[in-house]
Amino acid sequence: MGLINNIKSYSETLNLSEEKRGQLNSFLDEGFPTIKDEDWKYTSLKKIITEDFSIENKVGNVSDSDITNHSLGFENQLIFVDGKLISSPKIKGLTIDGFTDFESRNNNAIMNLNASICNNGFSITIDKNIVIEEIIEILFFTTTKNNFSQYRNQITVGENSEIKFVEKIQNLNNSTSFVNYFTQINCDKNTNVEFNKIQNNTSNSILIDNVDVYQKSDSTCAVNTLIFGGNFTRNNLNFEQNGSNCESNMNGVSVLDNNQFADNHTFVDHKSAHCRSNEMYKGVYLGKSKGVFNGKIMVRPNAQKIDAFQSNNNLLLSDDSSIDSKPQLEIYADDVKCSHGCTIGQLDDDALFYMRSRGIGIEEAKAVLTYAFASEAIENISVEPVKLLAQNLLAQKLNVDLDFSL
Amino acid sequence: MLTIKNLKAGIEDNQILKGINLEIKAGEVHAIMGPNGSGKSTLSAVIAGNEDYEVESGNITFNEEDLLDLSPEERAHKGVFLSFQYPVEIPGISVSNFIKTSINEKRKAQGLDPMPAKDLLKMMKGKMELLDIKKGYLSRNMNEGFSGGEKKRNEIFQMAMLEPKLSILDETDSGLDIDALRIVANGVNKLKSDDNATIVITHYQRLLDYIIPDFVHVLYNGRIIKSGGKELAHELEEKGYDWITKEADKQWA
Ligand SMILES: Nc1ncnc2c1ncn2[C@@H]1O[C@H](COP(=O)(O)OP(=O)(O)OP(=O)(O)O)[C@@H](O)[C@H]1O
Ligand SMILES: [Mg+2]
Repeated sequence: MGLINNIKSYSETLNLSEEKRGQLNSFLDEGFPTIKDEDWKYTSLKKIITEDFSIENKVGNVSDSDITNHSLGFENQLIFVDGKLISSPKIKGLTIDGFTDFESRNNNAIMNLNASICNNGFSITIDKNIVIEEIIEILFFTTTKNNFSQYRNQITVGENSEIKFVEKIQNLNNSTSFVNYFTQINCDKNTNVEFNKIQNNTSNSILIDNVDVYQKSDSTCAVNTLIFGGNFTRNNLNFEQNGSNCESNMNGVSVLDNNQFADNHTFVDHKSAHCRSNEMYKGVYLGKSKGVFNGKIMVRPNAQKIDAFQSNNNLLLSDDSSIDSKPQLEIYADDVKCSHGCTIGQLDDDALFYMRSRGIGIEEAKAVLTYAFASEAIENISVEPVKLLAQNLLAQKLNVDLDFSL
Repeated sequence: MLTIKNLKAGIEDNQILKGINLEIKAGEVHAIMGPNGSGKSTLSAVIAGNEDYEVESGNITFNEEDLLDLSPEERAHKGVFLSFQYPVEIPGISVSNFIKTSINEKRKAQGLDPMPAKDLLKMMKGKMELLDIKKGYLSRNMNEGFSGGEKKRNEIFQMAMLEPKLSILDETDSGLDIDALRIVANGVNKLKSDDNATIVITHYQRLLDYIIPDFVHVLYNGRIIKSGGKELAHELEEKGYDWITKEADKQWA
């Protein structure tokens, strides 16, 4: 019983290479991280991993209406059902394949587990000198009950190219699901990439979401993370800048209630001079929800003229909600501009009264102020339907029937 | 329309309003004057329903309804409007979106459908002309970075859009330049009718040259210590408050 045992028995059915066997063994030796691990201090997997998740790759059925209901309806969709790629768009300049293994550099336990036995995911390669106008929507559906699944994806963007993604992981049954996800994004010179993650899974879903971005000179990459659903979410978002004039952007909006938990761990590794990073995470906590933010910024010795901005603002809308927020700056160059700020607050009573005196109900007034609080991060998203979705989900979460646009 | 009887209210242990009596009929304009700190804004806040203030005793009825039982938003739906002495900045929501939300929330409370966007924009355009408001305003965040005068004008713009029954203008004149004062006062006069009423709180006779009051009240130390016609404002402008406050001090010592 327990996830580790299930992983062990599952791995015995696989014919693993020596390297993968090694990775698996190092995961099994270490086990899942515990709160003794500095990076997991506030984030406990203890209870989760005692559950009896199955690790089979049985492929179920997904109806058209499931797809419509759970997607933003973009024309170009990559659709996975229980790990199997069942549909992928044909776009000039894009090569899309199913699972294609690749080497990753991160070798913590979670990543070793992913590297060793994961055999689902995609590989997308974008040619040089091409601007993909269409949004690529990626949907991962799970139909199997109490399933533990992993994805291992790679996106490689050729020089001078641009592309935007929207992604969602959706469990289609009411059982607990656990996903260990990994995507590596390789941004070649002068590329522009935007990746939008909509984390709005069912209320008993568990997600560990790992993204590693490697950037070459003059590239811009944004990863936007919207957390509305799920029971437990841990995001590990890492940027590595190799080359001058890189820009790494992160926007995060979490709106949590009940017993939801979400942890955003970010890391920007400034290895080259004349680069920028902008990080804006907004958290709204209702009920007994709990958040963690840990933003690490490393500026290496020769990485001069770095402009790094980080902010984590939190709104606690109930007495029982909480947030642990920690910036972590390691700066080894002397000519850098680095600013960070963290706030934890409540809604402004004067503003609430002002709005109520204009006829706006208290719940609506709270929602408007909450939206205003989060909007700065939402506004940074360039894909309009994602912005709209964020607005609607926020209204839904706060139980109001409002639209925030005119 | 509005009847206030022996209203006592304050904050924690501090009684600020010490027994206010006031009767306002539809079509009337009442001016409330009085030294700083006498309780004018507190009275406005209590009428509008600010829960920071606790009502100890007395009552307020508005069109035969007990106002103190209603939430601030319900009072607004019934037609109470307060133009704030210090309007609050609401980041992240545009003026147009704010006003749209206010109007539609009121309509929702009245069982009406939201106002069609076209009608709303047309109405906004008309009221903006009335108050000489530039177009750029609508897309700016509510009061954010507005100058003092712009904020006041924005208050009256909202009043014009919401068409309240009872408007309380708390020092709307302070911060307005001479031209703006005239424009805003004209706007207020145009919105006046036989079935709405206005309370004008001001320190200066100047505003009352434009918005001519039917009654003038002096609020001092939580009480209305003198009431009269529009000539009382002139007298106060000339003589200050000393001549009446001294007497009041003696009476309530
Ligand atoms: N929220 C509050 N907390 C503490 N004291 C308050 C509060 N609101 C009002 N007061 C006090 O109550 C008194 C009356 O204040 P209020 O703002 O009503 O005066 P006002 O007549 O409007 O004055 P002004 O002409 O300066 O605007 C003052 O002494 C003020 O300090
Ligand atoms: Mg005042």
